[in-house]
Amino acid sequence: MIRVGAIVACVAAFATAPNASAQTISQRGFLEGALWLFPARAPADSTRVMGDGLIREEAFYKPTGWLQFAGGFELRGNTHDQVDRRRRLDFADRGTQRPLLSVRRASVTFTHGPLTIDAGKQFIRWGKTDIVTPTDRFAPRDFLNVVDAEFIAVTGIRGALQLGENTIEAVWTPRFTPSRIPLLHQRWTVLPANTGIVPLVDAGAVFPTGSQTGVRVSHVGQTLEYAVAFFNGFNHQPAIAATPRAFPPAIALTRIYPAIRMLGADAAMPTRWFTLKAETAYVRSSSPLADDYLLYVVQIERQRGEWLFLGGYAGEVVTRARAPATFAPDRGLSRSFVARASYTIDPNRSVVFETAVRQNGKGVYAKAEYSQARGAHWRVTAAMRVIAGDADDFLGQYRRNSHGTVTLRYSF
Amino acid sequence: MNRRVLFATLIAGMAAIGLPAADDARTIVAESQRRTNATSQRYEGVLQVFDGKGKIADKRWTFDRLGSHGNSKAILRFTAPAEVKGVALLVVSHPDRASDQWMWTPAIERDRRIALQDRSTRFFGTDFSFEDLEERDVDQYDYVLQGEEQVEGVVCWRIQSTPKQTKTSQYTRSLVWIRKETYALARIESFTRDKAVRRLTYSNIANIQGIWTAQQLEMADLVRGSRTRLTLDKLQYNVPMKDEDFTLLALRRK
Repeated sequence: MIRVGAIVACVAAFATAPNASAQTISQRGFLEGALWLFPARAPADSTRVMGDGLIREEAFYKPTGWLQFAGGFELRGNTHDQVDRRRRLDFADRGTQRPLLSVRRASVTFTHGPLTIDAGKQFIRWGKTDIVTPTDRFAPRDFLNVVDAEFIAVTGIRGALQLGENTIEAVWTPRFTPSRIPLLHQRWTVLPANTGIVPLVDAGAVFPTGSQTGVRVSHVGQTLEYAVAFFNGFNHQPAIAATPRAFPPAIALTRIYPAIRMLGADAAMPTRWFTLKAETAYVRSSSPLADDYLLYVVQIERQRGEWLFLGGYAGEVVTRARAPATFAPDRGLSRSFVARASYTIDPNRSVVFETAVRQNGKGVYAKAEYSQARGAHWRVTAAMRVIAGDADDFLGQYRRNSHGTVTLRYSF
Repeated sequence: MNRRVLFATLIAGMAAIGLPAADDARTIVAESQRRTNATSQRYEGVLQVFDGKGKIADKRWTFDRLGSHGNSKAILRFTAPAEVKGVALLVVSHPDRASDQWMWTPAIERDRRIALQDRSTRFFGTDFSFEDLEERDVDQYDYVLQGEEQVEGVVCWRIQSTPKQTKTSQYTRSLVWIRKETYALARIESFTRDKAVRRLTYSNIANIQGIWTAQQLEMADLVRGSRTRLTLDKLQYNVPMKDEDFTLLALRRK
C-alpha cells in the first residue's frame, strides 16, 4: 500500500513539476484511397485497374524539453496482391509485399544542448538534390510501383552535434532495411523477351547481417551550404543473382545486397537568379555483383511568383563494371535531363508538371498532376504519367506502364 | 549662450512630452522598435485567407521567437489543417542583412533553404510572402518623415522606409504608419517600383506585459485582391526559451 502511494505521489509530483507545462502531444494522419488505371496491357500482367488503400497515423509525445517519443503505424490494402495479408504487426519492412499492418516509425529523441540523439525506427535523409540524391544511403524506398516510391524508415541510432554553423552527424544501423522492388510477375518487372521458355521464380533475398555506419559533416554558411559524407554498409537496392534450377526447370532469382562504401558531397549555393545545387557520390564495392561508379547531379531551382521551377542533369561514370543485373532506379535515372514545375493556384489548388528525358533519347517520362483540397480535411489528386522509349532503357522498358491515378485523402 | 539654453530647453521640453527630437523619422522607428523589445515571444496564430468571394482557407500555427528584431530567431509550426501539420519554418534575422530561412517538410523528411530570390513567394498560399515573415530592423532601412495622418481614427506618423543596399527586398519602398500615442505600428504599405502591392494593417491593439501589441494583422494583396487575417492568440512575451531550440536540428523535431 505504501509502495502504491509512493508511486502515485511520484506520478503526481512529475505531473505537477514545472516542466510539465512543456509537455506536448501531437499527431497527424490520413486515410487514403487511390485508383490506378493502365490503358495498356503488360506482357506479364494483364491487370489494368488497381485499387490501393492506406491508413497512416503518427503521434509525437514530448514529456519534457529534452525527450521526445515518436510512433507511427500504417494499415494497408491493395487489390493487386501488393499487400501481404497476414495479420501481424511488421517492424522489419523486409518483405517483398507491403505489410498489412506495420510500424512506420518508433523512436526516442534525446536533446542536450547542441547534441541530439535519435534511437529507433526513423527516417534519415542525406543530401540536397531532388532529382536523384546520390548520398542518401540510409533511405530505402518502396519501389513496388517504380514511379511512386515512398521512403521506408531504418532502425538505428543517429547522433547529431551542432557546433555553430557546422553539424557532425553519425549514424549506426545494426539491422539492414532493403528497398522494396517490383513484384516478379507484375507490370513493373519487365523481363527480357527471351525468358519466356524457362519460368522465373523468386528465390527470396540474402540479407546482410552486419551493421551500417555513416558520418556526415555539414556547414551552413551565408552564401554556401555544403556537406561531406561517408557511408560503410550495404546497397539497399539489390543485385539480382540468377541461378538455373534443373528440376523443375527454372531460373531462380535471388536478391543480394552488396557491401558498399560511399564517399560523397553535396552543396547548395543561392545566387542572384537561382539556387544551384550539386551532389555527388563515389560508390565502391568488393562484390562481384556490384559496379564501382560515380553518380552526380547538378540542378538549379527558382521560385517565381507562384511557380517553382527545378531542372538539372543526373550523370553517372562507371569506373568498374561487374554487375550483370541490378535494380537501381537512382542509376537508371542517371544520364538524364530532369525538370519539374509546380504552380500554386490558390491555397487549395496546385498543379505539377514533371519530366525526365534520357540523354540518348531512349526513355522519356512525363507527369501532370492536379490537386485540390476541400474543406479542412479532404484532398483529391489526379495525375497522368506517360512513359515512352526503348525496351533496353531503364525508363523506356516501362513504356506499357503509362497510367492515370486518382487519389482521395482525408487528413486528420 | 542664450541660443544654447533655448535649444537645450526645447529638446528637454520635447522629451518631456514624448516627442522625438525634431520628429526625426529614424528616431520614431527606433523608439517604436525599442518599445517592442522582448527576450522572447510566443503565440498561436489563426490564419484566414480570403479571396474576392469569401474565405477559402483556415490555417493555424504556433510561433516561438527568441530575441527581437534584427537579433532574433523564430520557428513557426503549422498545426492545422491536418495535411500541413508539422510543416515548419525557421527564420534567423540579422541586423545588417536579410534573414536566413529554412522550411521543414515532414512528408519528405527534409529541410530546404528559402533562397533570397524566392522570398517574394506567397507563404503557403497566404498573402504573406516569406519576406513578410522576417523581423524588420530599424538599421536595415532609410527613413523620411512624410507628415501625419489618421489611420482608423488614430493619429499616426507617416514614414517612408527604403531598404538599404545590404537588405535584399522585393519591395522598393514602404510607407509605415506609427501611432503617435503608443508608437505601435498601424499600417505598412509596400511598393514594387511605384505600385502598392501589399498592405499590412495592425489592429486590436492591447498592452500585453507592457508592450503595445496588435493582436490582429491583416495582409492585403493589392494585385490579386485577396487578403489574409492573422489573429494572435495566447500571446506571451519573455517566455523562457533556449538558443538550441532554434536550429536546423530543432526544426526537425516535431
